[in-house]
Amino acid sequence: MRLSLSTLISHGRMARRMGMGPESRINMLRNILTGLVRHERIETTRARADEVRFYAEKLIDYAKRGDTDEKAMKMADFWLTEKDLIPKLFKVLAPRFENQQKGYTRMARIPNRENLDRAAMAVLEYKGHPYPPLITPKRDNELTLLNQLLKGYREERAKKAAGKAD
Amino acid sequence: MTCRSVCRVLQRRLVASTAEVRLSAAELSRMRSVLFSKEQARQRALIPRTEKIEVTMQGPGLKGTLLIMNKGVSTPHSCARHLTEWHVSSSALALVDGEPWSMNRPLTQSCSLTLLTFKETEPCEVNKAYWRSCAALLGQVLQNAFKDELSVELLRSPELPVTSGAFCCDLILDRQLDTWTPSEEALQSLTRDAQQLIQKDLPWEPLEVLPSVALEVFSHSRCKQEEVEERAAESPSGTVMLYRCGDHVLLSRGPLVARTGLCSQYEVTAMHNLDQGERGLRRRVQGLSLPLQLQAHHTIWRRLRKRAEQLVEVPPPQVPEATPISSY
Repeated sequence: MRLSLSTLISHGRMARRMGMGPESRINMLRNILTGLVRHERIETTRARADEVRFYAEKLIDYAKRGDTDEKAMKMADFWLTEKDLIPKLFKVLAPRFENQQKGYTRMARIPNRENLDRAAMAVLEYKGHPYPPLITPKRDNELTLLNQLLKGYREERAKKAAGKAD
Repeated sequence: MTCRSVCRVLQRRLVASTAEVRLSAAELSRMRSVLFSKEQARQRALIPRTEKIEVTMQGPGLKGTLLIMNKGVSTPHSCARHLTEWHVSSSALALVDGEPWSMNRPLTQSCSLTLLTFKETEPCEVNKAYWRSCAALLGQVLQNAFKDELSVELLRSPELPVTSGAFCCDLILDRQLDTWTPSEEALQSLTRDAQQLIQKDLPWEPLEVLPSVALEVFSHSRCKQEEVEERAAESPSGTVMLYRCGDHVLLSRGPLVARTGLCSQYEVTAMHNLDQGERGLRRRVQGLSLPLQLQAHHTIWRRLRKRAEQLVEVPPPQVPEATPISSY
């Protein structure tokens, strides 16, 4: 839980509630997080993905302490319901994010479920996975009219700067 | 009494003689437009019976689309109207069997057709056509901008690459205006005229004619006649392309884009004096424009505009050199 004074005193703000009570929520999030560590990219409802994201980042933070750390091992044992994933967490994911301080996950919105409930869906993934990218960056073509004009502008400015330097 | 009548006769004579020598800009363009319409009607009458052609559409989302169109009547624009409104409004130029083709020019045989927009992967051809069209529009504005008693002669417009930063239009103004330098307001009023033409959303209608017809259309302009002869000698079929936009008829080196409404930002930026030619002082008017699909932020536009005020140099005609073989 994100515990701070502002979350403690709600002032009428409704927290997001999922599952059947707090325990059920934690169990659900554990299952989703286990799936995320196994497949590195999962698709769930948007609210669940948003909730689980915090724990996914936190788990990596613990994993970076190393597998000799007692607290880290305890956390991994608690959050990963399938125990064969614990070595993966410490041997694969923790070294991958060694040089990174935060932002280990990426979330992308996808179209609503085609089901009856039309739930808002999202994709959650750990960065650095081997799958093709979700969102291909859209770049404007270098040859369009505007970009050609800007190219000419840049070239002229560079020429002028070089002329000044001489 | 006799004196007065003599005076009147003389006056009439003088008026008549000047009118013979020089028509006003509006009359001139009307005359050219009438000749253009006549030739267009003649060419249309040559097709008494409609024949069908098969047009295979190329492009994203159009695979396997086959249109049955009328030979010599249907244009790429009418093909686009069978597709979606987006195709009609955003396509600027067509490729017919890989050859650039104006949107309003009738198709002559069964072919494959690609509609080009400004955001293609290979937009060079469209860019060139757009730059040419903007220069043509500038010529049209300048032709009609001055008072009737001042003559304006448009020279052949040099083909500039887009990277040079501005399109331009060369012209010779009346001798009375040799010392005149346009103020900021004058350029702004030219810009306003161009914006009005853009708002009217006029099509550029192409027409392929024999040189004799083109010479008749441009019978009042020595310079244009020379250009017609040159073009006719260059082209393999011996014909020249005329374009009409509103009332203004012009010669063009290549295809123009579909409509004036494709331009969105348009500004006449500068007028420079070039040199003293044999007919008078040559001037170069420059402008900058961007199409509706590619608009620039105002900070970018300001920088590009500032650059477009400098005099652009026309690159010398490239001599086809032996290209170094780099295949191995």
